[in-house]
Amino acid sequence: MNYFRYIISGIVLSFWYGLEAQKTVRYDLFVRDTLVNFGGKEKKAYAVNGRIPMPELHFTEGDTAEIYIHNELRTETSVHWHGLILPNEQDGVPYLTTAPIKAGTIHRYKFALVQNGTYWYHSHTKLQEQVGMYGAFIIHKKEKQDLPEYTMILSDWTNMKPFEVHRRLHNANDWSAIKKANIQQGAVQSYADAIADKSLGIKLVNEWKRMLAMDVSDVYYDRFLTNGKPEDEAAHFKAGDKVRLRIINGSSSTYFWLKYAGGKINVVASDGEDVEPVEVDRLIIAVAEIYDVVVTIPRESTAFEFLATSEDRIRSTSLWLGSGIRQLASPLKPLKYFEGMRMMNGMIKMDGNLDDMGMNMSLQQMDMNVVMYPEITGHQDKNKPDHDHKGMDTQYNSNALSDIVTLNYAMLKSPIKTTLPEAHTKTLNFKLTGNMNRYVWSMDNKTVSETDKIVIRKGENVRIILYNNSMMRHPMHLHGHFFRVVNGHGEYSPLKNVLDIMPMETDTIEFAATESGDWFFHCHILYHMMSGMGRIFSYEGSPPNPQLPNPKKALMKLYRDDRVFHFMFENDFASNGNDGEMMYQNTRWKFQTEWRLGYLTEHGYEAEAHFGRYLGKMQWLFPYIGFDWRYRDMHRDGVRQNFFGQYNTKDLRSALCFGIQYTLPFLIIADGRVDSDGKFRLQLMREDIPLTKRLRSSLMFNSDGEYMAGLKYILNRNFALSTHYDSDMGPGAGITLTY
Amino acid sequence: MRSLVNLFISVPLFLFSLSCKGQIKNAKTLTVRVDGNCGMCEKTIESAGSQKKVASIDWNKDTKEATLTFDTNKTNKDEVLKRIALAGYDNENFLAPDEAFASLPSCCKYERSRKKSTVMNQKESSSENMENVKEQTKSNQLKSVFDSYFDLKNALVKSDYKQAGDKAADLKEKLQKIDMNKLDHAQHEVWMKIYTDLIAKAELIAKAKNIENQRIQFMDLSATLYTLLKVAKPDAPIYYQHCPMYNDGKGANWLSREATIKNPYYGSQMLNCGKTVETVK
Repeated sequence: MNYFRYIISGIVLSFWYGLEAQKTVRYDLFVRDTLVNFGGKEKKAYAVNGRIPMPELHFTEGDTAEIYIHNELRTETSVHWHGLILPNEQDGVPYLTTAPIKAGTIHRYKFALVQNGTYWYHSHTKLQEQVGMYGAFIIHKKEKQDLPEYTMILSDWTNMKPFEVHRRLHNANDWSAIKKANIQQGAVQSYADAIADKSLGIKLVNEWKRMLAMDVSDVYYDRFLTNGKPEDEAAHFKAGDKVRLRIINGSSSTYFWLKYAGGKINVVASDGEDVEPVEVDRLIIAVAEIYDVVVTIPRESTAFEFLATSEDRIRSTSLWLGSGIRQLASPLKPLKYFEGMRMMNGMIKMDGNLDDMGMNMSLQQMDMNVVMYPEITGHQDKNKPDHDHKGMDTQYNSNALSDIVTLNYAMLKSPIKTTLPEAHTKTLNFKLTGNMNRYVWSMDNKTVSETDKIVIRKGENVRIILYNNSMMRHPMHLHGHFFRVVNGHGEYSPLKNVLDIMPMETDTIEFAATESGDWFFHCHILYHMMSGMGRIFSYEGSPPNPQLPNPKKALMKLYRDDRVFHFMFENDFASNGNDGEMMYQNTRWKFQTEWRLGYLTEHGYEAEAHFGRYLGKMQWLFPYIGFDWRYRDMHRDGVRQNFFGQYNTKDLRSALCFGIQYTLPFLIIADGRVDSDGKFRLQLMREDIPLTKRLRSSLMFNSDGEYMAGLKYILNRNFALSTHYDSDMGPGAGITLTY
Repeated sequence: MRSLVNLFISVPLFLFSLSCKGQIKNAKTLTVRVDGNCGMCEKTIESAGSQKKVASIDWNKDTKEATLTFDTNKTNKDEVLKRIALAGYDNENFLAPDEAFASLPSCCKYERSRKKSTVMNQKESSSENMENVKEQTKSNQLKSVFDSYFDLKNALVKSDYKQAGDKAADLKEKLQKIDMNKLDHAQHEVWMKIYTDLIAKAELIAKAKNIENQRIQFMDLSATLYTLLKVAKPDAPIYYQHCPMYNDGKGANWLSREATIKNPYYGSQMLNCGKTVETVK
């Protein structure tokens, strides 16, 4: 009898397990170091299960996902499930929601899938996403779909280490622009380019308004990839087939234009959620954004190009649909940089804020960049009348200006009602702010580490009004929730989790606070996120997170990301001496030291160091303290006075100094200071004036009667030929090393 | 002195001639087929395909064959042929984008024999019964009318007087070609009432002296065509759109295939003034 009971319970138990096993889908992901050759050189990367991108994971709605991450790296990692609704501790943001996966350990994720659609997953640790840690995460609908499918995950690849990319961005290094200019003339937007384009006036106004060369993207990439390949093929599709493409932008900082050689593109879903089908000629896909589209293979024995071109139009990647002779899509023509510059000149005020001239821009409908698109606004034409305010509302409307239909957010409509439940609404206003020159990206001029978490309450509705006051577009991503994009479709406003917001746009998004724990809301451009462009939403009264036993300490770890200091070094080994500079700086603080070391005592030795903090949103003001030490054999020109009638100590000085630097129009740094001997000095300096693609000039003059003029010809990312004349050291020439 | 001048001239010339020869290393030579017509094509094809020291191409307009020589370490056949196709010329591996072909000078518009004809959703039509197929040919008959109307409308959107005239003449022709016996009952009834009016309006637009007159006639034409649209059963939705300002503020309507407003009554002056009042499916 007893045995019988055991047998029965055994059967019941195994049956139960059987049921459970059917619903749980398990994946094992092994993260390893690897060497890849995407851009012509062998480089380090991270591969998962031996491949880049990470494997495509498939599930059906209602399944439970059980995913084991085996970290076989020598560093910690993490995986975030982008766009999924799941318990907070499964979200995968290390130190915020989930324990970091330490080197050599295994981490188990387990969560139920309560939605369907196209999603993706990627590392949320440092810059790991850039070197291969991204993959598709597909949840099929329960009912069978009749269209054949294909996944297209886009990414960007640079031969430079991501750490280097990030460091250089923070040092306003323009090597990226030079690399771009090798492919597309004029990308540096130097004075020579401006003259060749008959746009010298535009360039002058641009520098007057303290702007560096304008660009639509910061980083030069050696390759763009579709499913890890420069070109991918889906040859099994036949003429007449309709194909659902699941397109994921898994790149770190590249927006792509999508075009199809076989006709119109029918957009059917965005960020995993269905939308009413809308037919377009092209669309732009923001970083981390997802679109499902349906395209038709119109002719037999032909492969049709589905073309993804980076927003800067430097390179592209393609997917060929069908087999046979290859039908090309027409490529996007190069940007009209100086038209873009003219537009920015008009929009930017002298205080660095943007002026939308009352256009109330939103939802990608007015694209200021159309002035740079030859296919919309025609080829370079200098004789056209100046932009006037009259036709302002159509001047930037791409769809009104041409026959090409470009998707924008106003065209997205949900097939189902998406209204939020009746509840108290908490409204939050954010201004997206940035400073290109020092690569500071923030919200309301505060980085993640400079703000407290934003407390929200379960059951309320949260409405976020975003205004982009920076000069770049930002794909803002909310973890763990879908938000409605309030776009004029009322009850049928579409649901998304990434919102691209262009400069000067104001967009409203809202979501029902239904979860618990802490959720990240950030710009998905990797280098912007790492610079601190984000906020944390924190549910009031959330239970403690078992994965983070010491939440305060963990948060400090997270904050460290945007507090990090970047190092820069430059030395000119010249015939008349060594001339150099070193900087160690973060979002606000900067330690800087400069030296001029002659080979002869009459040329002298000088060293200056400053430590200070950048103030204000534009960071034009930099008060500092420091010291100045110098020695020069004086018999050459003897004692003199400085411009303030004081005894000139420029040849023998050892003093503390207090000063203030201010960035003037034309990016001239005015530096006024007083030292501990009571001596005043005023100095004006401009560095890196872009004369041609590779030629830079710098000028300096101060009230001690010292002056300097130099020219530098950039050979590669570390070396330049340089020549300069210095009032103390005379003429010199040599090689400049930059790190 | 003279020899010095000579030296100054001859050295750069010598260097120049060296660079022009642009010897191609690791060379491989192939024969490829590229479509085209004339001497002008030859120039375009050769300049698009050639790349200093990397690839050179010599095309023969009679045989439509080209000798391609390239550096196997630096490029490949596909890269060269792709550049040629992007310049507008179909070849054995690539078809030119339609835009590139369209922008070729008219003497260069070769016959695109490599391009296969479009398959019209074989699966759908074969799966449907004969009745439906017949139905489709019926509405296709009217489709040609609407297509030509949209061409006319687009010309007006662009404020292109000449093109609008041509398109109106084309519309008139399409209207005259309609075989009313092949229309279904409802369409037949409407057609009988309006066709003389439609043809007359199309003719007036074709012969109008300026774009303003074309637009006045277009307003009536659009209103009449709308009654036909109601029974036409279009295969893609057609939008009935309204401009509140035209006709001294009385307003005027037009039909469009796109939901986006592009006003044919004012063109670029008020391109997106207006709204969709009805979507006919």
